[in-house]
Amino acid sequence: MRERDSDRPMDIHYLLESVISGVLLGGIYALLSVGFGLTWGTMQVLNISHAVFAVLGAYLAYWSFVKGGIDPLLSIPAVAFLLFIIGGAAYRLVIRPVTKARDVLMGSMVATFGLTIVVENIMSGFWHPDPRLLKPSYTGTSLFIGEIVISKGPLIGFALAFVAIALLYLFLHRTFTGKAVQATWQNPMGAVLVGINRDRVSLITFALSIASAGVAGVGMGLIYSFYPSVQNDWTLYVFLLTIVGGVGSIIGTALTGLLIGLIIGVSAAFLPFIWVNILLFLLLLIILLFKPEGIFGV
Amino acid sequence: MKRFFLFGILGLFVLMGSSAPAQTAKPSGEPIKIGGSLGLTGLFAEQSKWIKGGYDAWVEEINQKGGLLGRPVKMIIYEDEGNTDKAVTFFERAITVDKVDLVFAGYPATINVAIMPLCEKYGKVYISMGAHMKSFQQGYTYSFGSPPLMGDWADIAMYGILDDLIPKANWPRTAALLTMNNVVGQAMRKALLTVAEKRGIKVAVDEVYNLPLSDATPLVSKARSQRAELFCPLSFFDDGVMITRAAKGMNYNPKLMFHALAPAIPAWMKELGEDGNNAITFHWWNSRLKFPGNDRINEAAKRMFNTPEAPTYFGFGYCWMKSLEMVVQGAGTLDHKKIRDYMRSRSFDFPYGQGIKFDEKGLPAPYAIVTQTTKGHNEIIWPTGQATTKIAYPKPNWTK
Amino acid sequence: MENENQGKPKSSKAAFLILLSAILLLVAFPFFRPPLFFLSLLISIFLFISLTESWNLLGGYTGYISLGHVVFFSIGAYTTAVCMNCFGHSPFLTAILGGAVAGGVAAIVGFPVLRLKGAYFSISSLLLAVIAQLIFLNWEFVGGSVGLWYKLMPVGIEANRVIFYEVMLGLALIITFAVRYVEKSKFGAGLITIREDEEVAKTIGINTAMLKLKAFILGSFFAGVVGGVYGYYLSFIHPDITFNVNTSLLILLMAFFGGCTTWMGPLLGAVVLSLANQLIVTFIGAEISRVLYGLILILVIIFMPNGMIEYLKAGKRVRKVQQGWKHA
Repeated sequence: MRERDSDRPMDIHYLLESVISGVLLGGIYALLSVGFGLTWGTMQVLNISHAVFAVLGAYLAYWSFVKGGIDPLLSIPAVAFLLFIIGGAAYRLVIRPVTKARDVLMGSMVATFGLTIVVENIMSGFWHPDPRLLKPSYTGTSLFIGEIVISKGPLIGFALAFVAIALLYLFLHRTFTGKAVQATWQNPMGAVLVGINRDRVSLITFALSIASAGVAGVGMGLIYSFYPSVQNDWTLYVFLLTIVGGVGSIIGTALTGLLIGLIIGVSAAFLPFIWVNILLFLLLLIILLFKPEGIFGV
Repeated sequence: MKRFFLFGILGLFVLMGSSAPAQTAKPSGEPIKIGGSLGLTGLFAEQSKWIKGGYDAWVEEINQKGGLLGRPVKMIIYEDEGNTDKAVTFFERAITVDKVDLVFAGYPATINVAIMPLCEKYGKVYISMGAHMKSFQQGYTYSFGSPPLMGDWADIAMYGILDDLIPKANWPRTAALLTMNNVVGQAMRKALLTVAEKRGIKVAVDEVYNLPLSDATPLVSKARSQRAELFCPLSFFDDGVMITRAAKGMNYNPKLMFHALAPAIPAWMKELGEDGNNAITFHWWNSRLKFPGNDRINEAAKRMFNTPEAPTYFGFGYCWMKSLEMVVQGAGTLDHKKIRDYMRSRSFDFPYGQGIKFDEKGLPAPYAIVTQTTKGHNEIIWPTGQATTKIAYPKPNWTK
Repeated sequence: MENENQGKPKSSKAAFLILLSAILLLVAFPFFRPPLFFLSLLISIFLFISLTESWNLLGGYTGYISLGHVVFFSIGAYTTAVCMNCFGHSPFLTAILGGAVAGGVAAIVGFPVLRLKGAYFSISSLLLAVIAQLIFLNWEFVGGSVGLWYKLMPVGIEANRVIFYEVMLGLALIITFAVRYVEKSKFGAGLITIREDEEVAKTIGINTAMLKLKAFILGSFFAGVVGGVYGYYLSFIHPDITFNVNTSLLILLMAFFGGCTTWMGPLLGAVVLSLANQLIVTFIGAEISRVLYGLILILVIIFMPNGMIEYLKAGKRVRKVQQGWKHA
C-alpha cells in the first residue's frame, strides 16, 4: 500500500491524460457489455459466458494476425460472423433447453457458468495460458496533443466501439428483425400474438450478442493483454456496466461506460491503481443493494 | 639390454596411461529419479523454458560423465502452468507416488514459497532460488538457495550502482517504482525504498500492480508525468516488455531503467529490438562470470539453443542441479538428512561463486551481479572486479 | 464412505449399523498404513464434503446461490494463521475462532445482501469474493501478496497426515450431521419453504430474513472452521490459493450434481466428483477435467436440475408405478 504521495502538485496534463484514457476504455467496456444486457433484458438469460466469447474473438483475431498477417481490424467481419454462428449453436445446445426451467435467470446463470468453464479450458488447452497481445504497428505509438499523450490503441478501440454500438442500435430500432427483438422484450405475449417467432428472435438475439462480444474482444485485445482466464476480469466489468447502466438499455450501457471510464480516469490519478478496482466493485455492490435497476435503467 | 627392456615397459605404461580416456565407465543401475514441476505454459513460460534447458544440459552432462553416484539420472517434470496449487499437487505426487529420490527446483518464487514447506515436511532437500528473505526465515532446514534469487538484495545492486559507478552529483533525483504485486516484486520494492531513503532519492511514484498486467500505459504515464529519473519496472517478463514499450511510446526517457529481471530473458531483445538496450538488471549468475564451470554452461547453451552465451535462467537451472550434484556426490548418499548436513558443513566452489558457505537459513552471503544490456548482451557492470563493460549513464534516448 | 451413499432406509437399525461401521472404518483407515497419497486424497474429499454441505444450508435449502463461500473459508484460514503468528496458538484451538470471525462477517454482509433476490444475490456474493480477495492481496498485516506461513507441526510427515486426516474427517462428519439435523428440523422446513416460494412463506408468517441470515451465518461459520484447519494443513496461505474461483465452481458443481435439496446430495457430489477429478487429472489432464466439469454442470442443469439423488429417487418412483401397472 502506498504511504507516500508525491510532493509535486498533480500535473494537470497527467489528469487529463488519465481521464481521456479512462473514457476511451469505458467505450470499449461498453461494447463488451451491450450484448450481455440484451440477452438479459429480452430472454431473461444471464449469460455468464459472454466475456469468454469476447476472449475467443480476441484469439481469433490474434491467430489471423500472427499466422496470416491479417490486420485485426480487417478480421473483425470474419470474427463477428464466426461468433454469430457459435452463438447460435450455444443457443440451441445450452440456452434453449434452459429456458424451459422454472427460474430461467438462475438456471441460465448456472448453465452458462458451465459453458464458460468449457470454453475457457478448451482455449487454455489448445492455446495455453501465455498472455497475448494484438500488436499491429499502430498500437505501440501515441498521439501527442501538446503535452498530452494519448495511446493510439484505445483511440482505435473507442472508434470501433462507437461504430459497433451504433450499428447494433440501428439494427434494433431500424430493421424489422430488430424491432421484432424489441417487441419480444417489451411484451412477450403480445409479440407471440402478433406472429413473431419467439424462438427465432431469441436465436438471433443471442447469436448477435455473442458476435458483439467477439468484436469487443478484438478491441480489448488491441489494448490489453489477454489469456483464457482474463474472462473472469472482463465478466466483472460486464456486470458493472450492465447493472449500473440498466439491463437491456444500449444507451444506458454506453453512457455508463463513459461514466465508469471517467471514474477510472479520475481515481487512477489520485489513488493507487490497486484501489481503483476495489472502488469500482464497491460501487457496483452499492448500486445493486440500493438501486438494482441501475442509474439509467428502465 | 635389460635397461632398454625396462625403459620399454615403462614407456608402454606411460603410453597406456596417457591415452586412457578421461571419462569413467557409463552410469549403470536403477536411474535416480529427480522430480517436480515447471510452468512451460502460462505467465512464466519464457523463464521456465530456459530453466528446463539448464536442467537438460545438466542431465546430459552428468549421464555422460558416469552418472550421479554411478547411476543414470532421470527427470520427471510435470506441467504446472505457473499455478501454485497445481505445483503443490505435482511436487507432492512426485514425492509420494513417483517416490523420486531427489527434488528439483520449481519456478518462480510464488511457487517456491509453497514448495519449501512441503519439502520440509517430507524431509527432502530443496535447492532452488527460494522465495526471498521471508521464506528463508521460517526455520526450514532443508531449503537452500544455490544460487538464490533474493529480491531483498536489490539494495546491494543499487548501492553498487550509486556508490561505485555514478558520481554523486549525477545521481538521479527522483524515482518511480512500478512493482508487481507478489513476493518477488514486494521484496525488491522494500529494498529499493530503503536505498532511496538512505541516498536521498525522492520516490515520486510508488505503484503496485496485480499480475497479469493488462495495460502499462497508466502506470508509465504517471512516472513520466513526475519526470522520474530512476525508473524501476519491478516486473516479470511480459509486463516488463509492456512497460518498456509504453515508455518508448510516450517518449519517456529516464536516466536509468532498473529492471527486476526481464532483460535477463533472451526474448527481451527479440521483443524490443534496439529498445531493449541499456536496460539494467541484476542477478545471481551471469554467463560472463569468470568462475570455473561457466564455460561448460555457455558451450551447452550454444549447442542446444544456438545462443552466443547461456541466458541467465539457463545458467540458474544448471547451477541448481550442479549444486545438488556436488552435495549428493560429496555426501555420498541419497539420504536427505545427510545431504542437508553435508551442505552446511563446508564451503563450496560453484559456477556462480567461490567459497560459498550456507548459513542456518540456507543462504550464501548476500551478493548481486548487476548487468546492462549492451548491443544485445547482458554485460556485467558491477561488481567492478567482474565487470565486462562500463555503465551507460544517463541512458541514451529512445531511437525512432 | 461408499456405503453411506447407497440410499439407506430412513431409520432402520440396519442402516444405523452400516453407517457406524463405515465411520469406524474411515477412522481406522490410516492405521492400516496406506500410501500417504490416499490420505491426502481423502483429506481433500473431506474438505469438499464440509464446504459443500455448509454451502448447502443456504444455497440448497433456500435457493440463494452464493458464489462467495470461499470468502468465509479464507477468513477462517487467515484468522488461525494470524493467531499462530501473533500469539503462537495452535490452529486446532483457534479454528473455532476462525469460524466465529467468519460467521461475524457473514452476519454483517448478509444483512444487506440477502435482501436481494436470485441472480442479484449471486452476483453480489461474487463481488464480495472479488473485493475480499483484492483487500487481502493488499493488506500487509495478513501478508498481502506475499502470503502467510504457519509454523510446521513438530511431527513427522506420517503423523502429520494422520492427524489432519482424523480432524478433517471429524469436521466433515460433524458438519454433515449438523446439516442433516437442520434439514429435519423446523428451521430447515422454514428454509425449504423459502425456496419453494418466498412470498408465500412471508405471508404465512415465516421470518424469511432471519432464517436466511441464520443459514448464511451457520454455513459461513462451518466454512471458517474448516478453513482454519485446512490452512494449517497447507502450511502457507495466499489470497490466490484460498480465494480460488475454482473452489467456488467445484462447490456449486458438487451441490448441483448430488442434489441441493437433501443433505445426501452434497455428500454424494463431493465424493464422486473429487474421485473423478483425481482420476481425470492424473490420467488425462487438468484442462480436460475442467471441460468435463463444465459439461456436467450444463447437463445437470438441463436434465437433472434437482441433482443425482432426486433423479434416482424419481426413477425409482417411476419404476414403482410401472410395476404397479404390471400387476394391476
